[in-house]
Amino acid sequence: MTSLSSDLYYISLSLRFEFTKHLKRRRLLIVGALAIIVPLLFLIRAADTADQFASNSMMFMSFLIIISAAMFAGDAISGDFEKKTGLLLFPTPQRRVSIFAGKYLAALAATLLVVSIYYTIVTVEIIGLFGVGDIPAELAKSYLIAVLYSCSAVSIIYFFSSVFKKTTMSTLIGFFFLLMILPILSMIMMQLNVEPWFIVTYPAGLITDVLGATSIGASHRGAINTFQPTFGVGMIAVIVVYAIVFFLAGTWIANRKNME
Amino acid sequence: MEYAIQTKKLVKRYGRGFTALDGISLNIKRGEVVGYLGPNGAGKTTTIKILTKLIKPTAGRAYINGVDVTRPSKEVLSKVGSLIEVPGIYEYLTPIEMLTYFGRVYRIDKKVLDRRIKKTLSLVKLSDCEHKKIGSFSTGMQRRLAIAKAILHRPEILLLDEPVLGLDPRGIKDVREMIQHFQSEGMTVFLSSHLLGEVAEVCNSVIFIDKGKVVESADMKDITARLETKAISVEFSRPLSKEEVARIQAVKSVSNAEVSDNTLLISFEGGLHTSYQILRDLTGMDLEIVSYNPERMGFEDYYLSLVGNERGVK
Repeated sequence: MTSLSSDLYYISLSLRFEFTKHLKRRRLLIVGALAIIVPLLFLIRAADTADQFASNSMMFMSFLIIISAAMFAGDAISGDFEKKTGLLLFPTPQRRVSIFAGKYLAALAATLLVVSIYYTIVTVEIIGLFGVGDIPAELAKSYLIAVLYSCSAVSIIYFFSSVFKKTTMSTLIGFFFLLMILPILSMIMMQLNVEPWFIVTYPAGLITDVLGATSIGASHRGAINTFQPTFGVGMIAVIVVYAIVFFLAGTWIANRKNME
Repeated sequence: MEYAIQTKKLVKRYGRGFTALDGISLNIKRGEVVGYLGPNGAGKTTTIKILTKLIKPTAGRAYINGVDVTRPSKEVLSKVGSLIEVPGIYEYLTPIEMLTYFGRVYRIDKKVLDRRIKKTLSLVKLSDCEHKKIGSFSTGMQRRLAIAKAILHRPEILLLDEPVLGLDPRGIKDVREMIQHFQSEGMTVFLSSHLLGEVAEVCNSVIFIDKGKVVESADMKDITARLETKAISVEFSRPLSKEEVARIQAVKSVSNAEVSDNTLLISFEGGLHTSYQILRDLTGMDLEIVSYNPERMGFEDYYLSLVGNERGVK
């Protein structure tokens, strides 16, 4: 077996094992329940138009992505060092990079599953309330940005998981980094009349902005100078770069960590 | 000669200048069961962590089946089973789920894997708990499961770091029997421990380390021979006079005789036959001997004579 096919085998093995762990630990069920219940709450006071309903429903999406990423990636690496499961996992023929890549993909898969459930339910609600013809075309754009932002959010929290030794530390810092620190930085930039296009939560605001609203956790309004991201290759590229850079940095750090 | 395990001048320094290993060189032949003895902090776990690629040495080389473990490839670990310290557990999984994953990591054929898991769980006496959550297991059961993971793929080399830690006497006995079973199957076992009795019972040879250095390395047979009688405790019905002690000291082969009340501790040069000759000479002196006990140096005493008695020996 070649090195590449061997790595792919171990990545897929690690992915399945980690995904099973997410299921067994019931984290996936908890976040999945959120993804089912929250869109139903928007039915209590349904909007007048399909666009408005979609826009309102997606205000929760950034928060859902951040909480999912924190739940599934927060202990991806730090957990094996803190709980010493690495003493079982690492002295095996699989390369650490394969193990970590599998963990990242499992966290991403779980997050994407939750995001997809949410979008599916919102779409079904729109069909039920307004009919198939009224499904906003922008919902697909919103979904694309949500998928890409999920990759970034998971990468960022995965990175913190490789940096810190304690899972609570990596989870909380990753969570607040995305939920508060980056949005605050965005606001400061806007106060300085600089468009914060390079801060990932800014383009992530497109999840709702393409539908005409601003989401929790990606707020960039309220500043004196208000900027608004525009859907396009540039903004998508920023999110993708965050996903790649933080994943690579996290894997590099994790690979160099000693199990002492 | 290619050894199962070999290290050459292995050095490991941690931050603040603490030297865990200070030039350790080991040569372990295939099929041997080797005890790696030393007090807490002697460098036992560090050696095993280097051999399993968990940490990198500061200097020196370590080889498994002739393959340098400091090189990037991890293929060498496919033939190694390991139990290191007290590993964490996947508390929300069952033993079957956990071992199925590790079986696939070691690429055990699906058809073989189910049978292998059952057999391994039976060997570590966990068959009754195969579908229970690991989180509900006692410390001893978790330890057994970790051993099951280590032997699941029938490794050529088994590295065990304090395998009986946290086990009750029954568990300790079971682990000893398991190690003897592995030996009969030709497995090389490298057993790190600070429990002397455990090592003395199952190992062919012993390496003593202290402060990151090898203090002594010998076959168990040689060590046993060294522990052979070199002193005799003789009890008399009455205290001996100075003249009587002097007569005993004059007996051929007796190097020293120390008196304490009715008891005399005789040191001598030689083996069992010399001991018999001394007994014959003493009985010829008409000294009313009540008991004649060859003193045997304990494994613990031998160990302490090597590493000193100030640190963690049991």
